[in-house]
Amino acid sequence: MLKTFLQLLGEDARLLRRYAWMAVAYGVLCGLTIAALVPVLTHLLAGSVRAAAPWLAALLAGVAVCWGWRRRVEQAGVRVGVAVLQGGRHRLGAHVARLPAGWFTPQNTARIGHIVTQGMMAVAQLPAHVFTPVIGGVVTPLVIVAALFALNARLGLIALVALPLLAGVFALTARLARRADAAFHGSFAEASQRMVEFAQAQPVLRAFGGGTRFLEQAVTQQRQAGLRLIVLSALSAVLNAWAVQAVFAVLLLAGALWLDGEVVGTIAALLLVVRFIDPLLEVAGYGEVLRGARGQLDAVRAIFAVEPLPQPAVPQTPADASIELRGVHFRYEPGAPEVLRGVRLRIASGSMAALIGESGSGKTTLVRLIARFFDVDAGSVCIGGVDVRQMTDAQRAAQISQIFQDSTLFAGSIADNIRIGKPGASDAEVMEAARQAGVEGIGLDTPVGEGGARLSGGERQRIAIARALIKDAPILLVDEATAALDAENQAVIAATLARLRGRCTLVVIAHQLSTVAMADQIVVLEGGQIAEQGTPAQLRARQGRYARFLAQREAAKGWRIAPGEGPR
Amino acid sequence: MSAHDTAAAVPSSPSASSGPLRRILHPVRGRLACAAVLAAVGSMLALVPLAGIAHVARIALGQGGGSVGPVVAASVACLFAGMALVLAGELVAHLADNRLTHGLRVAAARRLAQAPLGWFTSRASGEVKQAMQDDIATLHGLTAHFYTAVGRAVGAVGVSVVYLFALDWRLAIAALLPFPGFFVFLRRAMQASGAGMQAFAERLGRINSATVEFVGGIPVVKAFGAAGTAHGGYREVVDGFAEAFADFTRPLVVSMAHAHAMIAPVTVLGVVLAFGAAFVGLGWMAPVDVLPFALVAPGICAPLLLLHTLLHDLQGATGAAQRVLALLETPVLAQPAPDQQQAPVGHAVRFENVGYGYGYGEAHRVLSDIRFTLEPGTVTAIVGPSGAGKSTLARLLLRFFDPEEGRITLGGVDLRHIEASQLYRRIGFVLQEVRLVHASVRDNIALGRPSASQQAIEDAARAANIHARILALPRGYDSVVGEDAQFSGGERQRVSIARAVLLDPPVMVLDEATASADAGNEAAIQDALSRFAQGRTLLVIAHRLDTVAQADRILVLDGGVVVAQGRHAELLARGGRYARLWAEGQPC
Repeated sequence: MLKTFLQLLGEDARLLRRYAWMAVAYGVLCGLTIAALVPVLTHLLAGSVRAAAPWLAALLAGVAVCWGWRRRVEQAGVRVGVAVLQGGRHRLGAHVARLPAGWFTPQNTARIGHIVTQGMMAVAQLPAHVFTPVIGGVVTPLVIVAALFALNARLGLIALVALPLLAGVFALTARLARRADAAFHGSFAEASQRMVEFAQAQPVLRAFGGGTRFLEQAVTQQRQAGLRLIVLSALSAVLNAWAVQAVFAVLLLAGALWLDGEVVGTIAALLLVVRFIDPLLEVAGYGEVLRGARGQLDAVRAIFAVEPLPQPAVPQTPADASIELRGVHFRYEPGAPEVLRGVRLRIASGSMAALIGESGSGKTTLVRLIARFFDVDAGSVCIGGVDVRQMTDAQRAAQISQIFQDSTLFAGSIADNIRIGKPGASDAEVMEAARQAGVEGIGLDTPVGEGGARLSGGERQRIAIARALIKDAPILLVDEATAALDAENQAVIAATLARLRGRCTLVVIAHQLSTVAMADQIVVLEGGQIAEQGTPAQLRARQGRYARFLAQREAAKGWRIAPGEGPR
Repeated sequence: MSAHDTAAAVPSSPSASSGPLRRILHPVRGRLACAAVLAAVGSMLALVPLAGIAHVARIALGQGGGSVGPVVAASVACLFAGMALVLAGELVAHLADNRLTHGLRVAAARRLAQAPLGWFTSRASGEVKQAMQDDIATLHGLTAHFYTAVGRAVGAVGVSVVYLFALDWRLAIAALLPFPGFFVFLRRAMQASGAGMQAFAERLGRINSATVEFVGGIPVVKAFGAAGTAHGGYREVVDGFAEAFADFTRPLVVSMAHAHAMIAPVTVLGVVLAFGAAFVGLGWMAPVDVLPFALVAPGICAPLLLLHTLLHDLQGATGAAQRVLALLETPVLAQPAPDQQQAPVGHAVRFENVGYGYGYGEAHRVLSDIRFTLEPGTVTAIVGPSGAGKSTLARLLLRFFDPEEGRITLGGVDLRHIEASQLYRRIGFVLQEVRLVHASVRDNIALGRPSASQQAIEDAARAANIHARILALPRGYDSVVGEDAQFSGGERQRVSIARAVLLDPPVMVLDEATASADAGNEAAIQDALSRFAQGRTLLVIAHRLDTVAQADRILVLDGGVVVAQGRHAELLARGGRYARLWAEGQPC
């Protein structure tokens, strides 16, 4: 937990160290000042106010010093907070910017957004809200133990021995609480998922009479599971305090037992005991807050743990626009099944390859690996004879245009978004790209709204197409399947492919018959491996998977809904 | 849970003007109060040893009667009794929370089960998600922890103050002086920060949107190698925020530091001893009388600070309570009263002057003056450019919402007068969005007819071309959707067709694009749909005109109005909108 904090702060780590020392010093000062109550009380009880006076003055001086020191501790804490909010956010941003493009799923994007905004705010307030009281609550008792020892060795010894025992109990409680929390959150999340499913499937449930049957079953199950956890949760909340109070009871009994000897001294010692127990009780109550803090920092650590794509020491330039995959193996997560199992493919510069296959066959992954969304687990992806890992991001980006499912737009006008493909493009070039993509009708100065909110899904995708077109890179990667539902976009893509054929290397995840017809090479993927490969004529003759694909597409095109007809 | 409890879970009795929190917590307010009281009494008992020490000191110094033993024993006993009561309080609070969460969920479920189907758009499911997951979790923190913590703090502070005043009111006032001082500094801090609050809140909003744009744009930046302008923007906003934060907290920090220092145990102890010594010197009290004050007063600090932090957390919970309440008060569709219900005669569907819009006036009506009839056994297709209102029309027939003008009748009876289950037994649908339930494949297909025989289910699956695929699953029909039954989009579509086949409704609404969702399954889905369409009254939302060219009637929808209707040949001959759409759609 601390390590993550230091990583977050980077060069500002000294601010945290400085703050920590100041907080410790504060605790020591408080402890020493409290210890001064012993001579004051002793003299008072002995009946001599005059003798108590100088010690009282010393105590009050100590109070003033603590007061002043407190302010400096708080200011140091705020400085740490500001460093987190500034440096920490910068560091997170810089790290995230270097992560592979494939990491940016909607969940991860939402996650990092949450961490940078609310997570960092919570971490920034940790010194003021959590660390100061906890550090003080731990250091002051330590000083008081020393004073207690000096005053009454037996009580001091008991208190000293109690400290490690308490630490052990706190750790145990933390583990118990974590277990209770995890179990609770698990069943809680499941019940909530059920509710969301209920809402989303409502038309179906209503129409088919499913009703609230399934949901109420699940919710009742949840309730029972929760009941079983209650004792554990409640116990973990009070166990810490119980342990501290038990120590108090022991010290009280011990003090009372040894009262016959030194009365005044023992009374003063008991007062010290109370000042020893009180801060420990406060710390005992911080268990849940500390767990929350740990959770926040764990989330940050998980982000820093994601490996950025390694950049080459000596970058090499690709010779041409050919693409080659050599023995590529890839899985999305360790332990998950391999999505690509030994793929070997060569696409000549300027030629067109169409990829077909069932969903889950690996075609999308293959195309993303060419764009270095991730690094392969084994084998290599080469562009123009150079491994993509030996090119800088900029070089690779300059070689490849892509038309994929994501069509992220920035707030601004349509023209601004198209210009991202070629910064410094003239108005004429932007206009031409817009015309080719079929978006000139909307008006190039139209603002797209945040994230493109003001446009329809189809329009957003066409702007993304224009963006890729204006870039005019030697390689174009297209996922046609995503446009399957929008007839207009399908037409735009078909026209684009026809125009670029022969000028660029085209890799298309194909859906339309017109696309596969014009390809130089068809690649059929099945289960992460290439099942068939060749020219359209060759594969059609083979009467294998490709032939079947053609037959299916033909049949689908010719479908008719008609009244009173038998099955087609 | 009894029906009474569920009804109580939807708060209606407290007046609408009481805060959202009070309304949400209404069903468990008794238990929460009990938990708070137990915690308060428990913490009071836990403070008895402090008084015990003072008493023991008095005895030991020969200024009080009795012996030390019983006092110590009583103190320790009270200590443990106090702890036990605090635990009891925690248990009661947790039990109350358990009950409340359950009640809220069931109430929400029953309410949503009556909401108009049109409410369940993707926007709404996000709301449901937040209310169900985040907001109920916040409320859980509230019920399970907040009230016991408040009880403990109030108990400790309360009993301490009363005890000190009971002993010696003069020293009590002196000892408690720092505490009003705390509030004075606190108020000053609030006032100082009030000025910078506005700027701070504005920066807070900006950092959220700058982060979203930056992170969302990283894949694009990588794809286009564009120098990160979003990154620069992000950096700027981060710096701005840090500056605003520093400016905002600077005046705050000094006052807060004074406030905390003022009620630090060390300060209170100093004040007590100083005044105590002074009073002893003045002869107002004996030295041993100062002892209880030195023991008890410094202990008030921690609970007071805790109380202060807890009250802050309350604000977050109010927002959560409001959202959950909003969910519980979702507008519902009016269901016909039993005496109003009528049974439809036949299966003819008629739209009579139907209008529907978003209440923005004539110019923006989604549908206006829709008039047509679906004769039994015919195929009617709705065509038109996207945004013309085709889906809305189909959804009106499925009673996703009620028309604002005119009415829709089935077999002569207004849809609003047909009881929901009766309605859906007569009108089925296969739409683009497939929803399967987290249950076995068999339960999913037999959703509408739980008593259907295995044979009937398998026949339906065969008709939908999905039987073979189901048999290939590890547990066949018993495989659970989402676990061992992982279906592709097209396969899910076929399961939904099997579901409709089993229900066997005489009228069907069909979205033709369902077939194109999954290239590999397209043929199988089309085949299943064709077979299923035989003999039924069909309303088809068509995207490709050639698939519906042979329909009995084609409705051309444009801008929410039916601009033409008739058979394909007539419409083509007329040369209007339809002819133009037909020409556009032809493959080149």
